[in-house]
Amino acid sequence: MRIHAHMKMADLVHLNFEVLAVIQRLQIPFGFKDKSVQTICEDNNIHVEFFLQLVQWFNERENFPQEQLMQGKAEWLVNYLHHTHQCYLHYQIPRIEKEIEDLEQLPGLSDQSAHLMVNFFREYMREFTAHIEDEENTTFPYILALSKTLSGQMDQKAFNLRYQKYSIDKYLDHHSDLEEKIFDLQSILLKHLPPPSNNCHFTNLLLEINRLGNDLKDHTLLEENVLIPKARQMEKELKTKSFNQ
Amino acid sequence: MVRILVAEQSYLLRKGLTHILRQFPEVGEIEILGSHLGIEEVIHHFEPDLLIINSSIAASSNEEALSRQLPDTCHVLHIINTLLPPGAPDNQLSIYDSKVSLTDKISNTIKAISETKNMEESEELTPREKLILKHVALGQTNKEIAAVLFISAHTVISHRKNITRKLDIKSVSGLTVYAILNGIINMEDIS
Repeated sequence: MRIHAHMKMADLVHLNFEVLAVIQRLQIPFGFKDKSVQTICEDNNIHVEFFLQLVQWFNERENFPQEQLMQGKAEWLVNYLHHTHQCYLHYQIPRIEKEIEDLEQLPGLSDQSAHLMVNFFREYMREFTAHIEDEENTTFPYILALSKTLSGQMDQKAFNLRYQKYSIDKYLDHHSDLEEKIFDLQSILLKHLPPPSNNCHFTNLLLEINRLGNDLKDHTLLEENVLIPKARQMEKELKTKSFNQ
Repeated sequence: MVRILVAEQSYLLRKGLTHILRQFPEVGEIEILGSHLGIEEVIHHFEPDLLIINSSIAASSNEEALSRQLPDTCHVLHIINTLLPPGAPDNQLSIYDSKVSLTDKISNTIKAISETKNMEESEELTPREKLILKHVALGQTNKEIAAVLFISAHTVISHRKNITRKLDIKSVSGLTVYAILNGIINMEDIS
């Protein structure tokens, strides 16, 4: 089905509920009534093409709109990624933590096994938080400053002074893989842990972990295949610009 | 399952290729890229068994870095945007190839990959792998393990790859959890 700006937002969600993630991350409030995608985007200051590209991708996984997304503003993407982070940190991760803690109460699972899982996940949470803080405090401000300097909203001298030794390659140097441990956790629960007695709780935990893992894969794809190439492109433009001056 | 990365800029070609690939029961995950941007990172994470790459994407990417990232066992098929001369190598797919000829070439490659994979795919860890796993779980580096066991670091790495493949666990802390659950090390061994 072709998605377009004049269809109703509510119909779009009915087509595929997964796009709620995009709506949440762009901070679009609910209560759509009969409003079209275009109207709602305009009401919320969201570039409608950007919205459609993301939604289209959710509907057709094998067609990642890399080039189109790169043509959009860096601010849009950073905003999207920022709200994704918030949702991970304040909702999804704590929920999974709670469910893993509850494993300790399950009869049939030894205390040691449950304890191991809790420790494993807490260690992951620490790494996860550090990773996100680094992006929020260093990478994102750098990319936003880069974009502002290019558009003339920020003085180039000030930019150069502030980011003398920083470039996007520095970020990649210590960019760790967030989904790796989530999929490890999934394998351990699915394949290597003795089966617990409460299937319902366990199944739900696995489903949530799987969902988070897949979502993190998307997140990495957006960062590594759109945001980083975009930042490199902007770095290059800035270099040419300062060379010409 | 064979993991495939397709790097092709044409939407129509990508669609057609995935359509053909999905007909093989051996094919597992398929990742798609539409340009050379970020391809090295994707290869690094995804570790494909087969890379199908358009020659123009290969030309615009850093080929040396690309081949460094590719796992040793990864097969590569090239998509060529012109007609192929008769007798062209089997790892070249022309956009003008017929479905039969494309399917043949892809089928041969996928068969070769899944045969090697099946040979390796016994899930049980060997005693040697268990020993390596024990050292990994105790927090030792590849170099340290190599020195203790009098083997080369390269051998340690290849054992580790097999362990990860069999258990489906990549990270050291995940492997440590497995080792404790299976009594390979004790909880007290790690502080």
